[in-house]
Amino acid sequence: MRPLGCCGVSPRWCVCLFAIALTLSFGVVTGAPPLRERIDEIIERPANGIPPPLANDAEFLRRAYLDLRGVIPGAAEAREFLADKSPDKRTKLIDRLLAAPEYPRRMREVFSVMLMERLGADAAWDQYLEESFKANKPWDALVREILRGDEGENGALRGSMFFYTKRLENYGQNPVDKDGLARDIGRLFLGMDLQCAACHNHLFIKDYKQQDYQGLFAFIEATSLQPGGKPSLLEGLLTKRREFNSVFKPDEKHATGPRLPGGEEVAIPVLKKGEEFAVPPDPRKRTGGVPKFSPRRELAERLPRPDNAAFKRNIANRLWWLMMGRGLVEPLDQHHSENPPSHPEALALLGDELAAMKFDMKVVLRELALSRTYQRTSTIPAGQKVPRETFLVANEKALSAEQLARSVMQATGPVGHAARVPSDGHASRVSHEKALADFLKAFANPPRDPEIEFRPSVKAALFMSNSDLVVSWLEPKDGNLTDRLSKMSDARQLAEELYLSVLSRLPTEEETSALAAYLAKRQDNRVQAVKNLAWSLLASTEFCVNH
Amino acid sequence: MHQSLCKPWEHRLSRRQLLGTAGAAAGALTVGGLGGLVQPTVADAMKRKHKQVLFIWLDGGLSQLESWDPKPNTQFGGPFRSIATSIPGVQISELMPRMATKMHQIALIRSVCTQDNSHSAGVARIQRGDPKNRGVTYPYFGSAVAKLLGPGDSGLPPYVWVKPGSGGFIHQDAGFLGAKYGSLAFGDGKPPENLLRHKAVSQRDDEERNELRAAANKRFAEKRRPEANDANSYVYDVAQALMRRQDLFDESKVPAKDWDRYGRTEFGRHLLIGRRMLEAGITFVKVNSYGWDTHGDNFNGHRSLVPKVDQAVAALIDDLIDRGLYASTLVIMMSEFGRTPRINGHVGRDHWPEAWSVMMGGCGLKAGAVVGKTNALGTFVAGDEHDIGHLFHTWFAALGIDSKQEEYDNNGQPLPIAHDDCHAIKELLA
Repeated sequence: MRPLGCCGVSPRWCVCLFAIALTLSFGVVTGAPPLRERIDEIIERPANGIPPPLANDAEFLRRAYLDLRGVIPGAAEAREFLADKSPDKRTKLIDRLLAAPEYPRRMREVFSVMLMERLGADAAWDQYLEESFKANKPWDALVREILRGDEGENGALRGSMFFYTKRLENYGQNPVDKDGLARDIGRLFLGMDLQCAACHNHLFIKDYKQQDYQGLFAFIEATSLQPGGKPSLLEGLLTKRREFNSVFKPDEKHATGPRLPGGEEVAIPVLKKGEEFAVPPDPRKRTGGVPKFSPRRELAERLPRPDNAAFKRNIANRLWWLMMGRGLVEPLDQHHSENPPSHPEALALLGDELAAMKFDMKVVLRELALSRTYQRTSTIPAGQKVPRETFLVANEKALSAEQLARSVMQATGPVGHAARVPSDGHASRVSHEKALADFLKAFANPPRDPEIEFRPSVKAALFMSNSDLVVSWLEPKDGNLTDRLSKMSDARQLAEELYLSVLSRLPTEEETSALAAYLAKRQDNRVQAVKNLAWSLLASTEFCVNH
Repeated sequence: MHQSLCKPWEHRLSRRQLLGTAGAAAGALTVGGLGGLVQPTVADAMKRKHKQVLFIWLDGGLSQLESWDPKPNTQFGGPFRSIATSIPGVQISELMPRMATKMHQIALIRSVCTQDNSHSAGVARIQRGDPKNRGVTYPYFGSAVAKLLGPGDSGLPPYVWVKPGSGGFIHQDAGFLGAKYGSLAFGDGKPPENLLRHKAVSQRDDEERNELRAAANKRFAEKRRPEANDANSYVYDVAQALMRRQDLFDESKVPAKDWDRYGRTEFGRHLLIGRRMLEAGITFVKVNSYGWDTHGDNFNGHRSLVPKVDQAVAALIDDLIDRGLYASTLVIMMSEFGRTPRINGHVGRDHWPEAWSVMMGGCGLKAGAVVGKTNALGTFVAGDEHDIGHLFHTWFAALGIDSKQEEYDNNGQPLPIAHDDCHAIKELLA
């Protein structure tokens, strides 16, 4: 066995995670410094008073746009921001992005990928999520609706049922994977992957008990898909506790009713025969009835609550991951005592603040975006290695297929082209949707494969290289990037427009002269030279990660 | 009660890994640069003569009784006869007349006894070598070989998979080695989408724009952590290499007599494509055949399936020998288990991991070796049983890899490349 040493961190920034043993919760104290400052204090503590540098304006601008709008800024916006001399321009930008109509769309995409893991698409689900983010619906309310799985008054919440209905379908030749549904509830809302505790206590994670898995399963045991018609849910009667035994000890019988991991078991009421339903099933109308005791409703009431520690830390960790490119706990669904957070205080603080702010995600995302931790540069000082979980150097994030599609569109299109939600006529919307679908096919992970880290593929590289779509976007047309650049005679001006349009920053001297040299070499075909230059940046690592 | 039984490779992170150092944990979820060898020089030593693997996977379960270990005229023997082979005293099923003439050029083991009789778990369990459970997801054999032998100098991806149905990049095969050791699957042997250089982009422009891309990436990577750029550059490099070898997918270049020799069947075609991938220098080529799960009508099923495989594999061995590739190419043909001696009510045979056979040949193996045997009825192994772990050790040894010394380095966690309690089967090795 090789010693597991302290991994080549420069002593200046050496972070000894084990030293942070005490979990102090600041709680919510009136008059306390803003959340962002408390976070920065925790993160910067190991830097011994020499916090590493912040991102420059261009790096920050691109990052904030991608995170909060889901697309890179246009060249004009980049120019304007870089020229702006006001000291609070970063704060103003964050507030503008959070108030913009693209923010709910971006959040819908983030949470749809997070909660559905590319299992399928559903217009009603998309609409439900987007409207929820438009109204800044608190996370606990959102989760309550999703877990309740009711269509609401006049079907207003119909879209929220997709979380259940999609998972209760057969897929391929496989039977309905209800275990998968129970597992996903644990993973996505509690940050606990209890899969391995389905048949026995987890072999390696002492916190994950079979009883936890079985108790969670009991909440959805009676739920199934209503056959026929539009997908909707049926909840039957749960009349007895769920019996189980470990596959290792088949003779020891156990039982549990619905119960959250580590929580109180919900007593199953004894109801007289014939009196179990609030609304009895109607075989003629083919409705399943509404049981008086609904374990699913119990789940929806009990899980998303501020006193549920797992619920709080899960969303705190996922929002942190979204903004910082890495969870405080990784993997995101492996919260347990033997897998401590990199910064226990930060996770506790964020969870408590979220609860104190009634799970207002926008406020918390704003605080995170304003923190120095978020605004760190992703460049590493020469010769140094800074572990990702120190958050002292910004972590690169993968771009989702949606972010990439919009950003390539933005970069290659006419000025201001894709920054808007397309509403300017049917044709543009159709081509927009088609482009998105092509990018999804090339860049999205397969179903059930969480999109957490940057994982490029040969398929995607071939798509960027040879697809009709990307090639066509580089053809000169109506003031698009190639058109604009081809008309510029000055290499410096061309370099500036290209770099601002694609990479949202100004070129370095080295880059400008390399570009000029290439243009000189390709005097035979200026348009082609411009296309090659533009493509080289679109396919570059700098473009396809959020750094 | 539970349809999704807990699978060993779902135990993703060991306690040790979770408690690892900051640096170790940091690398755990990134792409590229993962799981380096403890002794990286081995891959260099291998380069002198690049070794390759052809892995033929008969998905669903080849019946040993209708192929390598027939028991004619016994209780469970079924209707087929056995025939003599090129090795005196060794008989195989009459469904494999061509392979019978190749017996002195291949090696056979008839004492395979494995642990899993379900497909869903069994396929991965066998292809991952069923190592001791350490809470990590082991790589498939293809990913393991891609890692241990490297890509060679072809520039092509080290692990490709010719299969019926759809293709794509199957990163799950790689386990903890990281996505880049996954397989590139050619569905129905067809090239991946967008492989052809776009007609609007000339060869010169494609080269130039990729040079510009590489230069941009180099500048970016100078001041950044290497992982993202390594991974992104790698996929573009592979894409470029594949684009240069479009001829591999041009079946019009294959002489008609080759199609005839391999048989004009789906499997014959796929195996021939597989041979061309080997000729192109790809380290590990997997060729799949589906439809072997003969719970019903086992005998008609095998009468239809086995001769197709017999013809194609015999032609392949001839070709590898002709081209001087056989000595450096390990050929393996197997399933996730054998089939039950007992014949069920649907005239079928069910899953039987207790006693089955695996064929192999070529690189590092003793030609003509026939190892292990089953009892008279074919129900169980008589004598030493050999698990998939023994086979992994044997194959690694055949490829010149010391599986008792070599280890993976999974972010600081040293892991044996094959089951610790198993060992190579010496009788199979040259």
